[in-house]
Amino acid sequence: MFEKIEESIDQLFNLEGIEACILYRIDGVPIIVRAQEPESVLRMMFWLESQMKHVLADIKEGMKGGVFYMPTCRILISPASKSTVLVTIAGNTAHQQLTSIEVSRTVSVIEGCVS
Amino acid sequence: MSDTHVHTDIYGINEYRSVNNAYETQVPTGIYGLDELIGGGFLKNTVNVVCGGTGTGKTTFGLQYALCGLNRGEKAVIISFEMSEKQIIKYANSLGWKEIENHVARGNLKIIQRFGEEMLIPPLEIQGLIRDEVGSVPDRIVLDPLTYIESFSASGRKSLSMIFQNLRETGTTVATLERPSDAWDGVPSYLADSVVLLENLGFGEMFDRTLRIIKTRGLGHGEGLYPYSIEGGAGIVVRASEKQKERVRLKNEYSIVFDAAMEEAEKLGLILLRERIAVLKDNWTKAEDPKLILDTLIESERKYVRKD
Repeated sequence: MFEKIEESIDQLFNLEGIEACILYRIDGVPIIVRAQEPESVLRMMFWLESQMKHVLADIKEGMKGGVFYMPTCRILISPASKSTVLVTIAGNTAHQQLTSIEVSRTVSVIEGCVS
Repeated sequence: MSDTHVHTDIYGINEYRSVNNAYETQVPTGIYGLDELIGGGFLKNTVNVVCGGTGTGKTTFGLQYALCGLNRGEKAVIISFEMSEKQIIKYANSLGWKEIENHVARGNLKIIQRFGEEMLIPPLEIQGLIRDEVGSVPDRIVLDPLTYIESFSASGRKSLSMIFQNLRETGTTVATLERPSDAWDGVPSYLADSVVLLENLGFGEMFDRTLRIIKTRGLGHGEGLYPYSIEGGAGIVVRASEKQKERVRLKNEYSIVFDAAMEEAEKLGLILLRERIAVLKDNWTKAEDPKLILDTLIESERKYVRKD
């Protein structure tokens, strides 16, 4: 199961323009981290960690996902299950539609594995 | 004993460590899947804290650790501040560990129940309990839970430090600590030689029950979040992916780089540095080339050399 999740996240991460994929547990603890430049993603991870706690409440309200548009990237926050959230950081060169489709696919794989 | 790699037993220990630096000095934990993440097991004569909230499996961890040694001919003592001998045996039986009764009958396992409130000077009393009630020196000690001693000890840190020191001189200890997952960072944790954190979020999903290794003094350890389950018959089983295990395995492909650095250090007369590089070589688990780190070490140490 763990391998299947890792494999699926690796596939998403290998798409062109994807800077990082992080699977968070709902309490803000990263479970799987894939980052092109870990040092540059680190600062963003601190910010994301605090976002997770807000996401928990929103998941309960039925939140399907959220996108933050930053100057150099897009951050896609996608609840994958009751206790996990997938965060994808896509650079400006990433294909928006392809990224969205692949995020959805990855989320469904994670949900199938962890639930 | 030769410095060759040995293959593992049922607990998967020592697969990646050399005989000289591990087998003689490490104690298999008995927790399936954990030893590979901490380089082979707990270091001998250390105090290892297992921290977690209610229902995370701390008592199971302690029992499993004790049984691992008992089933290999070691002696163990469980000092419980909550459960009686009868309750512990009943619980072990419910997990399918029926041999526990034989170990008690044969005198290999001693289960002692005490209440924290009854202990006036915990550091002396724990030492006395082990000496008087066990008779011989146990290889494995389980304190379950340490929380009682911690809360009833008036002088806090000093008292715990004394307890830990006494325990280190006696055997290898697992002490459990009742703590919510966001409050594990207290005195016992920073006095301990290793800290394992067990969490249970209660959503009923894969990553609800997870194990994290916070520290292991003197050993490298995996830094991931590892899901675990408590299975009847087996006990705690930690599930790490191959990629996670790979990150903790010793990497031999950079031996030439280390050897070259050791040679250079020797040429410069930096004998201590040479020895330190040898230790670094024996513990290198990273996939990256160590050249940059080694160059930094040599450059820095070269500056410190006195020019008389």
